[in-house]
Amino acid sequence: MIYQGKQKIWADYQKEIPDNHWFYVRSCIRQNFFPGAEKMFLEICRGLLKKDIFETEHHTTCGGIAYHCDTIPQETVMTIVARQFALMTEAGYENYVASCITSFGNYIEILETWKEFPELETRIREMLWKACKREFNKPKYVAHASDLIYKYRNEIAARAKFRLVNRFTGEPLKVVEHIGCHYAKMFPARGVGGAEYPYVLCGMIESWGGNVIDYPERRHCCGYGFRQYHVKANRGYSLSNTYKKFESMEPYHPDFILTNCPGCPYFMDRWQYVIAETEGKTYGENGYGIPVLTYEELASLVLGYNPWDIGLQLHQVAVEPLLDKIGIEYDPKEKYKGLNEKDLMRPELPGVLRCC
Amino acid sequence: MKLYDELLKDYRAKEGLKTCINCGTCTAICPAAEFYKYDPRKVMDIVQSRDEEEIEKLLKSDFIWYCGECMSCVTRCPRKNGPGLVIMALRSLSARLGYFTCSEKGRQLYPLTRLLTGNILNYGYCVYPDTFKWEDHKESGPVWKWHLEHIDDSMARLGANFKGNGPGILRKIPQESLDELKSIFDVTGGTERIETVNRFSEAKAEEMGMDMEEYFRETFEHTSEGHLNNED
Amino acid sequence: MKENIVIIGGGIAGLEAACQLLDLGYKPIIIEKSDHLGGHVADWNCLFPDMTPAGDIVSALISKAADANIFLNTEISFVNKLQDSYNIMLSNGISIITRIMLVTTGFSVFDASKKEEYGYGVYDQVITNKDLEHWFNTGDDRRVNDSAMNAIGFVHCVGSRDEKARNSQCSKVCCITAVKQAIEMKQKFPEAMVYCFYMDLRMFGKKYEDFYISAQRDYGIRFIRGRVSEVSENIDGRVIVKAEDTLSGKPVKVTLDLLVLMAGMVCSQDSTKVANMIKLPLDSDGFLKSADNVADIIDSPKEGIFYAGACTGPKTVPETLAEARAAALKIHLYIMKK
Repeated sequence: MIYQGKQKIWADYQKEIPDNHWFYVRSCIRQNFFPGAEKMFLEICRGLLKKDIFETEHHTTCGGIAYHCDTIPQETVMTIVARQFALMTEAGYENYVASCITSFGNYIEILETWKEFPELETRIREMLWKACKREFNKPKYVAHASDLIYKYRNEIAARAKFRLVNRFTGEPLKVVEHIGCHYAKMFPARGVGGAEYPYVLCGMIESWGGNVIDYPERRHCCGYGFRQYHVKANRGYSLSNTYKKFESMEPYHPDFILTNCPGCPYFMDRWQYVIAETEGKTYGENGYGIPVLTYEELASLVLGYNPWDIGLQLHQVAVEPLLDKIGIEYDPKEKYKGLNEKDLMRPELPGVLRCC
Repeated sequence: MKLYDELLKDYRAKEGLKTCINCGTCTAICPAAEFYKYDPRKVMDIVQSRDEEEIEKLLKSDFIWYCGECMSCVTRCPRKNGPGLVIMALRSLSARLGYFTCSEKGRQLYPLTRLLTGNILNYGYCVYPDTFKWEDHKESGPVWKWHLEHIDDSMARLGANFKGNGPGILRKIPQESLDELKSIFDVTGGTERIETVNRFSEAKAEEMGMDMEEYFRETFEHTSEGHLNNED
Repeated sequence: MKENIVIIGGGIAGLEAACQLLDLGYKPIIIEKSDHLGGHVADWNCLFPDMTPAGDIVSALISKAADANIFLNTEISFVNKLQDSYNIMLSNGISIITRIMLVTTGFSVFDASKKEEYGYGVYDQVITNKDLEHWFNTGDDRRVNDSAMNAIGFVHCVGSRDEKARNSQCSKVCCITAVKQAIEMKQKFPEAMVYCFYMDLRMFGKKYEDFYISAQRDYGIRFIRGRVSEVSENIDGRVIVKAEDTLSGKPVKVTLDLLVLMAGMVCSQDSTKVANMIKLPLDSDGFLKSADNVADIIDSPKEGIFYAGACTGPKTVPETLAEARAAALKIHLYIMKK
């Protein structure tokens, strides 16, 4: 691996990301499975870095998953998106930041399609007016939430309480990064670092002290495949793709996986559980799995937040071995507690995958 | 009506099908091609041939439903095609014409439509805890089972605004916003698409001697042999 | 004869034209940017189809052209158009007035690192056709010397026939070069598996097909009909290539010790620079535009300015030499007509 070669490519794909004043839209999947990640995005951007991030309760799904499951026409998804843009316009914002990669890809694709076929944009404007009596300006800038954390990575590093260093060996942690397919595969120039060697997560890992691992199946899809997961009969597709990635990264012994897509951390986390229970195979040390984190979860950890306040208890793969390596203290008894120490019992332990 | 002409009315076909040279760049990295008996290059070749009979066969086959729409093919095509986009246009046409009920993977459009458009119109989300049942998603693990059993407390612990008013994680989306979504579906053909999928699915269910609940379970859960690459 | 003839570029086209013009009694001036003559061919080892040493061709041309006025390490600073001639100012301070220029600025090798998915400059064991010729010539390349050579791959059409890389043209010589280099590697490493990943094999030239047959029959080189989609590196530093075997309709993954990218030909920056100075048009393929692509390939649309070789598009060595001779004759007739 020639690191300078990657740096050269990264330099070609830097995008100018506005610093402040964002209209924020949430992710369906992340609100369900990684609610803590979205909470921490706002906590870090608003609370810590004092950025203006606006959210309205009136925004909805962008329809991206339904669209990619082929259940709604292109005009429908475009008009839902147009309505989101109208909410942004009405709130007086021009910069649009999406928590979801499917959404981000959806927004970029729609804007590019309108550019190529202006008559379609006109039709969608008419449809939105007919359906909702709303009008919109197109965003000046569309970012993914990971672009913002990337932009603020050095500010976060400056405030960090922990570095991505193994405190037992003093070595940087070995990190696999996984980028959602719809981040840059359709429009490489729209992603930090491009499609082949995206830098958006590498930049965070480097800034916070870790080492990035490049393994053969790095660019391969996590296996979501929309209908290939949502329909029970098809899930072998999803599982086999994740399996392929884990087999490929196994020899590098990664300490954890960092992702920027809503679905990927869910699949890479849960399919490890399924592989353990069905095949008896685990990929971490001592029967554990390899922890899979979102970028906000990782940022929160290095900033010193309590792991159970940021939602790491909702992962099936135990994060404790990673916390131990970094030197983050945690109270095991607190892990599954509700507010005010409320006892919520705890999940059953899997048969094979070691959990805490 | 020519199927090819209908297909080319779809902007995704316009964007995705320029000129294909059958080089296989798309298939080489296609997650579906590795798992299923599937080859996006052949899809492109058939559509490009403008052979109506072959295109009709394609629209009625399992073949077009194997793609996972990851769009990895778009990055690499040396002729700036997007096989994944062409697949989306084919699926859309197959849904409109009712051809999707001719294949096992196509029939899955019924449960997908019910789940996803149901979630959007009822809740304003594509995925929602009330409909993401552990029984249908055992792979989500004991942690998800636990989370669902304690969802109000678990969500509260994480600062979510679950089913609450105002902004926040999994908030209740105001009724007037849901009404707008419904109106968008009505105006843009979303509702018509749901009705079309239901109509053809009901006819197919009757033909298969099932009520709609049985048909839902069958199409959601059952997979026949012969789809996979490693099968004979 | 006193007529100044300026040849821009001292590659094989410029040298061959100079030789012919010397024979016709002129004293042409060769302007060469680098410190040596022979252009890309001077960097090559052997030439298809008879494995002629490239060095022999180049040194023969250089010795025959020795009586020309040759300026090495020299570039054109600017060109002024006079009434019916040009004033050329060179970087060495000399200025030349001439009515006649022969553009032999050649091509550039496509920058293979632009095909990011192939990992040239990122993955250690990925080299180009040019790098391999350098190794044939010097034996100096740790990427070849320090690794076991059990499996070697060649990727055709790197930066050719590729709209994303903004080169839709076929570079013409890469197919046969890949077959040649595959045979040479098989000769050096008889135990190695050697693969060629191709989209179409364009074996158009004299004895090319024989070369291809020999590669299959005598050397057991495996030809996989599929364009390489992605290259990655495994933990041993070997490279993994993904392509579709389109003849069987299945994705294939091959692990290799060395991957050679057949980088194609693109219009050189020097050609576009000269074109800008003399206001010569570019063709839609990015190369210099001829007066006519069938009948007058060596005529520019401007009076007194002629082309030879790869500045107008990818050419083989014999094609380039033939054009150079034709251009010399054309210049001679142009002067005679005066």
